[in-house]
Amino acid sequence: MRLSISHETTYHYDDQVRASIQYLRLTPHDSERQQVLSWQLALPRPVRAQIDPFGNILHVLTLDEPHEAIVIGARGQVEIDEKRESEHESQSSLPFLRFTRLTEADEAIRAFAVAQTQKRTDRTALIDMMHALNEHITYTPGATAVDTCAAQAFANRAGVCQDHTHAFLACARSLGVPARYVSGYLYSDSSEHLSSHAWAEAWIDDAWYSFDVTNQLAIPERHLKLAVGLDYLDACPVRGMRRGGGCEQMHAKVVVSPSAPIAVPAAKKKPVPAPMIQVQRQG
Amino acid sequence: MIRTFYDEMYDAGGIVRPHYREFARWLGEAPPELLAQRRREADLLFHRAGITFTLYGDEQGTERLIPFDTIPRSIPASEWRVVERGCIQRVKALNMFLADLYHDQRIIKAGIIPAEQVLANEQYQLAMQGLNLHRDLYSHISGVDLVRDGDGTYYVLEDNLRTPSGVSYMLEDRKMMMRLFPELFAAQRIAPIDHYPNLLLDTLKSSSPLDNPSVVVLTPGRFNSAFFEHAFLAREMGVELVEGADLFVRDDRVFMRTTDGPKAVDVIYRRLDDAFLDPLAFNPDSMLGVPGLLSAYRSGNVVLANAIGTGVADDKSVYPFVTDMIRFYLDEEPILKNVPTWQCRKPEELSHVLANLGDLVVKETQGSGGYGMLVGPAATAAEIESFRARLKAKPHAYIAQPTLCLSTCPTFVENGIAPRHIDLRPFVLAGRETRVVPGGLTRVALREGSLVVNSSQGGGTKDTWVVED
Repeated sequence: MRLSISHETTYHYDDQVRASIQYLRLTPHDSERQQVLSWQLALPRPVRAQIDPFGNILHVLTLDEPHEAIVIGARGQVEIDEKRESEHESQSSLPFLRFTRLTEADEAIRAFAVAQTQKRTDRTALIDMMHALNEHITYTPGATAVDTCAAQAFANRAGVCQDHTHAFLACARSLGVPARYVSGYLYSDSSEHLSSHAWAEAWIDDAWYSFDVTNQLAIPERHLKLAVGLDYLDACPVRGMRRGGGCEQMHAKVVVSPSAPIAVPAAKKKPVPAPMIQVQRQG
Repeated sequence: MIRTFYDEMYDAGGIVRPHYREFARWLGEAPPELLAQRRREADLLFHRAGITFTLYGDEQGTERLIPFDTIPRSIPASEWRVVERGCIQRVKALNMFLADLYHDQRIIKAGIIPAEQVLANEQYQLAMQGLNLHRDLYSHISGVDLVRDGDGTYYVLEDNLRTPSGVSYMLEDRKMMMRLFPELFAAQRIAPIDHYPNLLLDTLKSSSPLDNPSVVVLTPGRFNSAFFEHAFLAREMGVELVEGADLFVRDDRVFMRTTDGPKAVDVIYRRLDDAFLDPLAFNPDSMLGVPGLLSAYRSGNVVLANAIGTGVADDKSVYPFVTDMIRFYLDEEPILKNVPTWQCRKPEELSHVLANLGDLVVKETQGSGGYGMLVGPAATAAEIESFRARLKAKPHAYIAQPTLCLSTCPTFVENGIAPRHIDLRPFVLAGRETRVVPGGLTRVALREGSLVVNSSQGGGTKDTWVVED
């Protein structure tokens, strides 16, 4: 399946921002499951790409001229191999056993993980646990915040994909299964869930397998992976800081659509220059 | 009286050891009023110099003077040379371990240390994986904590490879002794240590591939317990003392804000823990760090001393493997001994520990500063039971060691002079070469019988002499 993505994030500030810096994980890389046909970032100024500690493509955008808005655009096309269920990697999975503040497993989560799996750690057991978590934490937009941890969402039984993923990571790690956070895009024909999405991967039989708790999917056929990490903070698309600016309004618009290969001839695979949006006047 | 402790000044027969003879003679001749007056002078001078330290767990955030004792701890030069070689050997192996761990992981493949022990450790930093550092050095400044058992044998109690502190006390204690008792330094050859700031600056400069890199000291700020030391070292080295807010990152380079505009920074002697370095990569609530610092570091545009991720090598759960590291990387026998250690994560070792809690010292693998530690022989029954419960709940978070006797050194106390337990922290600098200034920081447990020398637990310090014998 070929997915076309158009993702635009706009930050507006009440006051002028004196300086800002953003870590952007908005560029997918090729893997066994996905092939990036074209990808383009539209940023206020050119930025060199680097690889972050988790192997993600990272852009660090620094703006030190006063600005009142930042517009970050990402668009491109990626071919997804729908049949591939798992991905291999040469790096050790063991660092993904550790808990973080957002994925700490409290007594309730540990007990839940044991009850659901009987301490089995095969894929079937983890799929059962994924379904049980979906049932336990009802998908409720607005119920949690960006810094809500797994234990809080689990106790309140409400959350969004980020909370579902953190709870799954806490459960898996408490069973001794390395697990990581995935941030990316999801094509969904219903508009129920955000297209900018998060799910989990767990290390089973020497490969990473996907667990989308929110959509109860264990085969990531419509999932485009952007970045991985120990939790949301490592993998999130935009993490930034600024000096000044007062209150901030953020608007994100994501359109994920399937594009039939026939409708996109090879010649059009060439990246189309995205409009460069100036948020600051130079000179 | 049965002597169970090794005393630094007197041998088992109560005779003054040769390297203390000169001092003992002087002490015997000095009028007691003079000594008392000099001690008051020392207190006053320390106060005036602002050498204080903030006590954690104290609601008032009280700044305290670290008690300074005017009776030095003295080490014969021949003995010191062995300790020095042992410390250098150890730090070399630990640096090789870190380089290996963040690259080929040969030591794991060789089956010497279990993969999970280090890779699942919170202190293992993925950010360091595959990153090449100049000279392959991770711990540029290390503090090796040594104690002596009943027969005088030196043991390494722990390695400090994150942000070892205390060197300012070592330097100030010496200045104080030379000022109060100049006659002692004229009468015998005591190895100088005042070149430490120069060696430190040289070490920091040699950590960068640049010819004349610009160096700064990064402090968490004046509320940090070691702020005095950060300011002291910056001043002694003649470099800027900065807080996170004084630095910024632009296009993967670090700059310092100055009145003359941005100035590039090449080496950061950071006295800030990994978790606080970059709020965009680590703890997002950190107001102490520099947003973007990790990207600049990973791009190779700035050196951090010490490197990120050294904590995995000085973690108490990794400590039992250090002697094997020395054999593995250097093909040498360890010069300094490790204290035998039970790893509570292993069920059979845990049951031994639980059965002998009253005799053992139990420590948190992540703890430091003497907080969260049980000294069995000195603990109440209630304290032991509380630790028993903690051990059972989280065995992997603890190690246990036999209670070492810890050597004693005569110390001024309320009623004259009495033996008090001491340890030793030499500071090892790794750059073009690996060096140690003679001696180190001697900490003394001022409470009678106490084995906890940490300043946060009521410990004091002594000047440390290496005396030609």
